[in-house]
Amino acid sequence: MSTPAIELPAVPYLDISDPSFAMQSEALRTAREQSWYARTNFGLAVLRYDEVSKLLKSPKLCQGSAKWPAHNGVHGGLFYDWWTKNLLVLEGEDHHRIRRLLNPAFSPRLIKDLVPRFQDLANELIDAFIDQGGCEFIRDFAEPYATRVLTILLGIPESEWPKIARLASTVGLALGVTFKQDLDKVEAAVAELYEYAEELIKDRQANPGVDFVSRLVLASRDGDRLSDEELRNALVLLIFGGMDTTRNQLGLAMQSFIRNPEQWELLARRPDLGGKAVEEVMRTNPTVTWVTREAVEDFEYQGLSIEKGTTVHLFTQSSGTDPRAFPNPELDLLGEHAPHYGFGGGVHHCLGHFVARADMSEALPLLARRLANPHLTGGDEWLPDSGNTGPTRLPIGFTKRA
Amino acid sequence: MKTIDVDRSLCDNHGQCAIAAPAVFRMNSDGVLEYEETFDDALLDEVEEAVDVCPVQAIFLKD
Repeated sequence: MSTPAIELPAVPYLDISDPSFAMQSEALRTAREQSWYARTNFGLAVLRYDEVSKLLKSPKLCQGSAKWPAHNGVHGGLFYDWWTKNLLVLEGEDHHRIRRLLNPAFSPRLIKDLVPRFQDLANELIDAFIDQGGCEFIRDFAEPYATRVLTILLGIPESEWPKIARLASTVGLALGVTFKQDLDKVEAAVAELYEYAEELIKDRQANPGVDFVSRLVLASRDGDRLSDEELRNALVLLIFGGMDTTRNQLGLAMQSFIRNPEQWELLARRPDLGGKAVEEVMRTNPTVTWVTREAVEDFEYQGLSIEKGTTVHLFTQSSGTDPRAFPNPELDLLGEHAPHYGFGGGVHHCLGHFVARADMSEALPLLARRLANPHLTGGDEWLPDSGNTGPTRLPIGFTKRA
Repeated sequence: MKTIDVDRSLCDNHGQCAIAAPAVFRMNSDGVLEYEETFDDALLDEVEEAVDVCPVQAIFLKD
């Protein structure tokens, strides 16, 4: 006589390093229906909104990228030194101290003053291609816009944007699977960015103004200040973290609105929905496809034992479209939706999000107001879905609005 | 004297306020925000920083 076996729900498995792995796929939606988590070739993946929201802020998990260079066989050098001392991977009081000193410069009240500059920049870039009826959206808009916003913030000549873009992209290679092969290039780019940042800091220390870098240089709290090295590391982090992400997210926004033409028309009529457009694009089509965490101790969560050291990927698009939290998960600028986690969350919540939100929420309605019926014209090229995704080339056509 | 009001329908328990003004805001062991509604005047600067830094702008200062 045999007892009928209790059927345990199978835990799905996802190969997230497969170049063809797709976040917005039937396989992932099926996995999300099967279970709140999946096993992957790099730890766990959390798929549903509630669990992502809770684990993102859980004190049982720390930021999970600290050991990235070591995982790739890189144990020293400029990138390694910078990476292991930057805000992104610091924890506890070391993290909080730097964050307190950096935060005031990123205040939403101060960022608001830059909005007219963002609008002028967006219009200038659109002017350059509007009469052609088409453009390569990344080259002609997303990349110069994202990088020139950084030059505006840093108070450096906007004409230097191609150099900043090149250096940021080169350092970004450190996050790719070919990090070890690209190491020499990455090291050279970090050295150049260091030099750039050090000059900027020296200049503002000698001639402090009311600009962003001056505020960082002058920042103090309880008699504590940022050292020259900490200032330099923060500026490099800003360039590294602010450029690719914004460029990619703008490209993904264009893709989202091409798929949802009636939402584009709505945005054209209602520029006040610019902020909502950013939230909706980031909820349904985020560039940061997952946020990485690592278990700091053994713990149990919803019956699952998670061992100390386990890597936990919190999936952003999957959680942002989870039907349990979003009964109507489609992009909808008039919908009332729970917050997305495209900027991460908890103590490591993106530092620059007010800048990113402000610049993208100006760019999108201006684009919508001037470009009707945007559509793909072919030849688009894409980053893989694992890590930070988005188009690297996005040729589009459109009709110029009168 | 100003008092603090957190809109709990917006608060997402990121804990940035507890970094900015740890004397007034803290996260309990369940990761949920606890805070004092009133605070010493000497803490006004850091409380204002907590208001500013909240990712979902859920903290309000009332006269």
